[in-house]
Amino acid sequence: MSDQQLKQQIKEMIVERLFLDADPNAIADDENLMENYEIDSVNLFEIVVGLEEQFEISFEDEDFSVDLFATIDSLAEYVERKRS
Amino acid sequence: MNFESGGEPLHGVLHVPSEPTSRALVLCHPFAEEKKCAHRTMVEAARAIAEAGIAVLRFDHRGCGDSPGSFDAYDLCGWREDISGALDCAARETTAEVGLLGLRLGATLAAQVAEELPDVACLALWEPIIDGERYIKQNLRRSVIKAMMTRHEGGEESEDAAAEAGAPAEGTVDFDGYSVPEAMREQMEQINLLAPPPSYAGPALVLNISAKDAIAEPMQQLADAYERGVAVAVRAEPVWQRIGVIDAEPIISATVDWLRRQ
Repeated sequence: MSDQQLKQQIKEMIVERLFLDADPNAIADDENLMENYEIDSVNLFEIVVGLEEQFEISFEDEDFSVDLFATIDSLAEYVERKRS
Repeated sequence: MNFESGGEPLHGVLHVPSEPTSRALVLCHPFAEEKKCAHRTMVEAARAIAEAGIAVLRFDHRGCGDSPGSFDAYDLCGWREDISGALDCAARETTAEVGLLGLRLGATLAAQVAEELPDVACLALWEPIIDGERYIKQNLRRSVIKAMMTRHEGGEESEDAAAEAGAPAEGTVDFDGYSVPEAMREQMEQINLLAPPPSYAGPALVLNISAKDAIAEPMQQLADAYERGVAVAVRAEPVWQRIGVIDAEPIISATVDWLRRQ
């Protein structure tokens, strides 16, 4: 899977799981998700579960930081690291 | 109204249909923070089901809601007794055949009670906890995420979120401010609704509530394990996770439709 495909899948997963009224293609890779989409702790939990299920990775407690969830870029980088 | 379970007076509300009925349902709420979030949905469900001609008893378990006691003083055995007590109460008050509807851990406890009381008329399980270890992990993770966000909003670094969230007394775990004692945690860890497979032979609905239209594999497996089980997927927000007004209509409609067919 290419980097762009991974990012696209993450965007689609976020839009679906958070019931966002947004076009996944309109989410920029580097835009601030927490600010632009009012991501709260419940949404973050949904994103974590979504990433784990879709990409068969597992978050560890020490992985959690706000920076990780800041952008599509940072999420994609994390997923790639966990899968490598 | 009050009814007694384990020597405690439990608080309940009976929703009576406008016409006489031969059917009743006991609603089993989820626990801890999930109960608070789902309260409005449970009330809306009770009203809608009563409007459909089925009496509904919703109640608070020992240590929960308006019933007496402290959350951490009880365990799953006591809460299953409460459901049995609620079934007796509903049967007494309505002289109807009584089924169970539960959400999350409430659904799991309802399923476990139905294993021991085959006279339960029907079983509606909304997002039941099938795997107890996963349930505990999810609750702990929620606490970690909340701690991280709280620190972030307070302008602090977030790296210590896990450590901050996880400092309960030895043996206990913390579910968003609800202390889960060691014995209760162990009972939760042992939950596995698929093994042994259920023996309840009445009609069973497994309602999968998620962002997807497809049914998650464990939910389908559980429905298939029931002799008369059916799995239904409903696209709706997790009503047990969000405080505030959430549109639970798809969940309630799917359930009322299923109840009408029984």
